[in-house]
Order: sequence, then structure tokens, then C-alpha cells
Amino acid sequence: MNSAPPVIALSAWREACLGALDRGGRFCGAYASGTGAARRWNALFADGAETLVLSADAGAADPPTIVDLIPAADWDEREAHDLRDLRFEGRESQRPLATHAPETASWTVPVEGRGTHQVVVGPTHAGVIESGHFRFHVVGERILQLDTRLFYKHRGLERAAEGRSPAAGLAFAARACGAGSVTNSVAYAQACEAALGLVPSRELRRGRTVLLELERLYNHLNDVAAICAGVGFAPGNMAFATLKERALRLNCELAGHRFLFGTVAVGGSVLDLDAAAAGRARGELGELRADAEAAWRELAFAASFQARLGGVGVLSTEDASELGAVGPAARASGLHIDTRGTSPGLWYGSAFAPARPPAASGDVAARLEMRAAELPVTFELLDDLLSEPVRPGDAAAGGSTGPIGVARVEGPRGETVCAVELEGEHLGRLHLRTASYANWPALVHAAAGNLLPDFPLINKSFELCYACVDR
Amino acid sequence: MFVLLRHLQRVRREAALPPRSGARSLAVRHLDAGSCNACEHELTATAAPQYDLARFGIGIVASPRHADVLLVTGPVTKRMEGPLRRAYEAMPEPRLVAALGDCALGCGVLGDRAELAAPLEELLPVAIRIPGCPPSPEQIAEGLLTVVRAPLDPPAGRR
Ligand code: SF4
Repeated sequence: MNSAPPVIALSAWREACLGALDRGGRFCGAYASGTGAARRWNALFADGAETLVLSADAGAADPPTIVDLIPAADWDEREAHDLRDLRFEGRESQRPLATHAPETASWTVPVEGRGTHQVVVGPTHAGVIESGHFRFHVVGERILQLDTRLFYKHRGLERAAEGRSPAAGLAFAARACGAGSVTNSVAYAQACEAALGLVPSRELRRGRTVLLELERLYNHLNDVAAICAGVGFAPGNMAFATLKERALRLNCELAGHRFLFGTVAVGGSVLDLDAAAAGRARGELGELRADAEAAWRELAFAASFQARLGGVGVLSTEDASELGAVGPAARASGLHIDTRGTSPGLWYGSAFAPARPPAASGDVAARLEMRAAELPVTFELLDDLLSEPVRPGDAAAGGSTGPIGVARVEGPRGETVCAVELEGEHLGRLHLRTASYANWPALVHAAAGNLLPDFPLINKSFELCYACVDR
Repeated sequence: MFVLLRHLQRVRREAALPPRSGARSLAVRHLDAGSCNACEHELTATAAPQYDLARFGIGIVASPRHADVLLVTGPVTKRMEGPLRRAYEAMPEPRLVAALGDCALGCGVLGDRAELAAPLEELLPVAIRIPGCPPSPEQIAEGLLTVVRAPLDPPAGRR
């Protein structure tokens, strides 16, 4: 990934993308870069620890769409159209994604028939929820189709980072999402390091892995609480909110910030735990683990809660794969992808095995159980990592440099893909594609056919973020 | 479930929150105008047993029509300016605007100028400022409790 990818002619673009899939690649994002005659349309394919970058010359003409070959590229193409002014040859519809057109018909799927009507929600919601707009087409209580309109929170973070130094650009990647700040920061730092030819030291790899697992811990606890809240089961919600609060306090104790902000740097880490601090953390994590397991057992006995979860919001293995789902949601549907197993820049080792879902039924129950099954893995990893001191690490020159750096990092909700293109000393382009971005189309798909009152539950079982989609 | 409830009772006891005072309340409507979501996480945490803001009469309400305070997070994006103004207009008087977090306070704002509306202060009269990135649940509680504890205006007799 370190030499600039050869530029592919538009006539060979679809062929090249298909070829990448045939060789076992998994589509993991696409973005436009450059301007004028130097404009490129780039597609990324995950292949083991490597990421293949395909680059099409979009300087003189519009690239052909690949959405019929790779449905997961739908949002990427729509976003490139709205924010980077790219058009796609052969796309049947170019519904706006980031642009908010006033006419509803321009961005919704037409649904007609006897008794169909729309239920409109947002952008502001009844509880403490991020801003986003949903339009449910329903018959009775049954959802026929869900149209989402996000990007209300679009802050232009990628564009704002462009022209800055790699070190200064970190803040933009870090603040894309509070709950995925470490994941996105590590992905960004690794992408910059790949472009700058920096190789992380052992300590840096360990330090970042500790931070990533601490982030996963509080998020998974949060997600279990959120699913309980999704059906109004207050005791479960409060029990796991309490556990999450303890995890946040531990973060603050270890790294000085409840959400671990400011702990990642390009080419370094600031986490510094001596043997005593690491030992204390292990002790606290042990207690947290015991209490989380006890609370989980209690949830299993809450029959009225359990009765709400099965068969709701089903995402099939095939649909998860077609739509490019990632993370616990994909694993709960039987897709065994976990970037932690192929992350040489971190400390997971080749023996890392992601937790398998008890049943890969792809419903709310499976997504909930997936979180519970992954928690022990995280506790084990942290216990192991904290068995010795964690010192600040750095990255040393030694790798090959190049104009593009790409990194993929497994966060709580799945993989973040970050691509940076350097122009001299500065960022020419920053592209951040988070797990929430990958999973929104899957959530929308899983909602169809379900009852409208079950939507909050389905939504919470994915627990996607709006901030890092909108950026 | 009863085990969970017993456990929560213990957490609440150990949190040793100050006793509730007075009989006043504050209905808060949250509005996300482009946050990174961490401010929302902390606002949600104020309902957890370790903080339990409800015991001070502070509650999140579903509609601006029921709210005393509009609690705003984020730097106010262009696309959220309209919904922000509409929420404020829908509120009954007297109404207060609270800025939650450094983004809403206009300091350290990240983003492309072209995508951001004016800072919250320029759009609405901000009466409560809760700094932090994100502010901790204690800071949020403190910020909101100053309103609950402030003398009523016009001063009321009892309470
Ligand atoms: S103030 Fe900080 S935590 Fe709050 S929304 Fe802004 S960046 Fe996120």
C-alpha cells in the first residue's frame, strides 16, 4: 500500500473491482480525492492484513457505478456525489445522502398501496439521542420500508483536516466520534505512519491495544444497557449503566480521561502504567468482570425481557455480507470478520480468535449475546496486557514511505478504515469510514418487515453512531 | 431481576448523594446540534444510579413544549440550525438555553467553517454554561442544579 496505486482507466474499473473481490478481497470503502484533471475515485478492499487500493482516473469523465456489483458501495457513491461532486455512470438513482433536498420524494423510496402511510421521526428525538431523521413507510404497525436521512451533524471534519500536518489532523479523526475516539485515532495514526514509513515499537503496539480494549469494554457494557433501554427494562439498563460508569472511571484513573481522549498520537502513545498501576487496574477489571457476569446471568432470567429479543430485526448472513456489515452485528449474523486477528500493528497475536456467537441468528438476541460473548475476550486480553507495565511507545523510521497510507482497526462496533493521502508535509485527503457508516444500510434493511414499536430495540441492538457517519 | 434491583439499591446507597432539597424541578430538553456523542454519553450517565439527577427534580422531557431548559450540545451545524431554532420557538416562557460542552460553548470547535452555522451564543441567549470536553456528569449536575437552586424570579414566598 505504500507506492501510489496504478491508475486504472474508467473502462477497466468495474472489471478491476470484480477482480479484487474474486481474489478474496472484501470491499471496505471508497472515496474521491484530488481535483480537476488529477481527480481519482478510490476503492478499498480488505485482504488479510493488507488493504488493496484501486484508483480510477476520474479527471475527465464520470466513473461507472459499482453498486450493482457491490451493494456495500452505495453510500460511498452517494456521498462522493453530494460532497465531492462526482457523478456515476449507469447508476439508476442518485438519491441524495448528505445533501438535504427539500422535496421528500427526492430521497425516499416511493411506497404506495392501500393503507400505507408514513411515520416521521427526528431529526431531534424524545430522549438523549443524536440527531437524525427517519421516515417509516408502514401499513398498520408493520414497517415496509425505512428511509433515513443522516448528515445533520456534518461538520466537514475531513475537509477541515486537509492542508494540516499529520499531527494536527489527529484531532479531527479523534472527535469524529466520542465513543470510538480511540479506534478512529489509532486508525488515523496508523494510516499516517504507513504513509510516513514509521514502524510502531512493541510498547506502542501494546499501549494502543490496551486503549482499544478499554474502549471496547465500556462500549459493550453501554450497548447491553442500551438494548435493555430499548424495551424499557429499567433494572437491566441501570445495572449495565452502572457497570459502564465504573469502566469510565477506570479509564479516567488509567489515562486521565473517561473517554480516553488525547491518549493516541501519530508515532507515539502517552499511556504510562507502572507495575503498581497495572496491577491495580487488573484487580478492578477482575471485580468488574465478576459483577458483569452476575448481571448478565440475571438478564438471562428476566423472562419478560428475553421474550422481546428473538426473531426481531433479523439480518441474514447473505445480507450482512452483501451490505458490507462489520463488527459484532456482522458476527451475530454469522460473518466471521474481526480485524483484530489481522492487525500486526497491534498486540493481538496470530492466536487471536474472535468470540463465536452462541447462535448466529442475526436477530436482536444474537447481537446482544454477541456483546456478552465478546466481553470475556476483552477482559482476558486486558488481564494479559496489564500483567506487565505499559510504557509510552514510539514509532521509528524503517518502513517504505508513500503518498497513501491505509489502516483498518477493529473498534467496538466493527472496523474503522482510514486512508490518508499526503501532499508533501500535509494532508491532501483524509478519509474516515467507521463501522457505523458500514452498518447503517444493514440496520435499515433489518428494520423492514418488523413492527414499528420494535424499531428502538432493533436500533439499539446495532447501537450505531450518527456523529462518525456525518463527520 | 430482584437481585439487580437489590444491587442497584446498594450502588445508590454507596454513591452517598446529597439529600434532596426543596421541591422544585427542571424539565430539560436535549438537542444535539452536531456533537461527537460523548456529551450525550455523559448526559445519559447523569441518570445512572451513581448520579441519579431525577432525585433533584431534573428530568429529560420528550418535547420542547414541556421544557424549561434547552440543553444544546455540539458546534451547531448548518443542517441543525433550523431544528434548533424551531425547538426554542416551541418552548413555553420562561425558557433557558444551556450550552453543554466546549463545542456548544464555541471553544475548540473543529470543523469546516462552511458546514457550521454561527456559534450557539449568537443564535440563542445562552444562560447556563457547562464547559468540558465532555463535561463530567458531576459538572452537568452542578450546572443544572444552579438553576434549580437559584432564587425564583420573581421571588416566590414559600419553598
Ligand atoms: S465538547 Fe467535546 S465531548 Fe462534547 S461534543 Fe464537543 S468534542 Fe464531543
